[in-house]
Amino acid sequence: MRLHLLCAGMLFVAVTLAAGPATAQEPRLAGRLSPGARATVDAVLDSARRDGLPLEPLVDRALEGATKGAGDDRIVAAVRRLAADLTAARDAFGPGVADAEIAAGASALRAGARGEDLTRLRTLRPGQSVTVAAAVLTDLVALGVPPDTATAAVLSLAELADDATYLAFRRNVERDVALGATPVAALTYRLFTEGRALQSSDEAATPGAGPNRPRKP
Amino acid sequence: MPDRNELLERGIEMLREPVVMDDAVDARVMRAVAGLPTPARPGPLSRAGTWLLQPHAIRVRPAVALAAAAAVVLAAVGLRERGAPERSVQPLASAASESAPVRFMLVAPSATMVSLVGDFNDWEAGATPMEGTVTDGLWTVTVPLAPGRYRYAFLVDGASWVPDPAAPRALEDDFGRPNSVVTIGGT
Repeated sequence: MRLHLLCAGMLFVAVTLAAGPATAQEPRLAGRLSPGARATVDAVLDSARRDGLPLEPLVDRALEGATKGAGDDRIVAAVRRLAADLTAARDAFGPGVADAEIAAGASALRAGARGEDLTRLRTLRPGQSVTVAAAVLTDLVALGVPPDTATAAVLSLAELADDATYLAFRRNVERDVALGATPVAALTYRLFTEGRALQSSDEAATPGAGPNRPRKP
Repeated sequence: MPDRNELLERGIEMLREPVVMDDAVDARVMRAVAGLPTPARPGPLSRAGTWLLQPHAIRVRPAVALAAAAAVVLAAVGLRERGAPERSVQPLASAASESAPVRFMLVAPSATMVSLVGDFNDWEAGATPMEGTVTDGLWTVTVPLAPGRYRYAFLVDGASWVPDPAAPRALEDDFGRPNSVVTIGGT
């Protein structure tokens, strides 16, 4: 009788192990993280996968920490913090957003943008990627532009600027700052010139359009 | 009118009379039986299913039973380990056709070895070595990148992390060694 109970117990363990929620292991973490840190990061990745978050930024963050010789606690904390940022960005952008957009949005949030700013950015650019716009917002803050000012500038260009325009705008601000302008002064000047150029090219593309016509998406 | 007992007696007498049978009846019966469909013989699977559904007394040595149970446990654990995907994470933008070559440069005259390390090469220290010229100390490498935002840094002589002086600085500095950022547009 005791033998039967023992066998039944072992079979139960086997079935539980086989059918239980197995943690998928990211092979790139093997040999780069300690077993403990790897198990924790894999659990974060599992949770992110269930939530529909992009996993690549999380893996990259863990690998960056490993290559830079950070401790386990620091790596795990960084991955968890990034997962929270990705969740907030995904929630702000809403459904149907691409992984690269979520990742760029998470960086913008870290830079000081608010969730409603990301929501507004996506609303202003229907059918267009917001990856570069959100990345430029982050870059402007990194250049020394206050987050509120950077956000307002990016949102003001959102309806008319394509990715190349955003990148040129950021590059020009960066150049002006390198030449000695204050970040806010450089941003204000470039926003004025860029905005005027965009406005005139938009009006030229649609002749006869008045100032109150609907803006192009 | 005969009563019920008399009728019963008559019936019994009739049943007791011998029946005269046709000589060919046996042959007819056998032909009819031969014409009936023969039930199919159960196959091995059917016999095995029947055997499994019926109670049986199985005598097993305790050592054999324990070994079998342990084998089941090990098989379950092995299946679970092997069930992990080979690469569970997909790159943010993997379409090679969308990739554009991006050139990275660093001036480091005293360096003997410089690598480009970042989101695009799994932060592998030696994955993307840069080519340098002794005369001017200019280190360069070109990497195809799909649209997106990438964090990176230069690793000089395998020990010193240097952000790109010609690129925006990444604000996310979780490990105390600053990175740079390159953003590739798609529209």
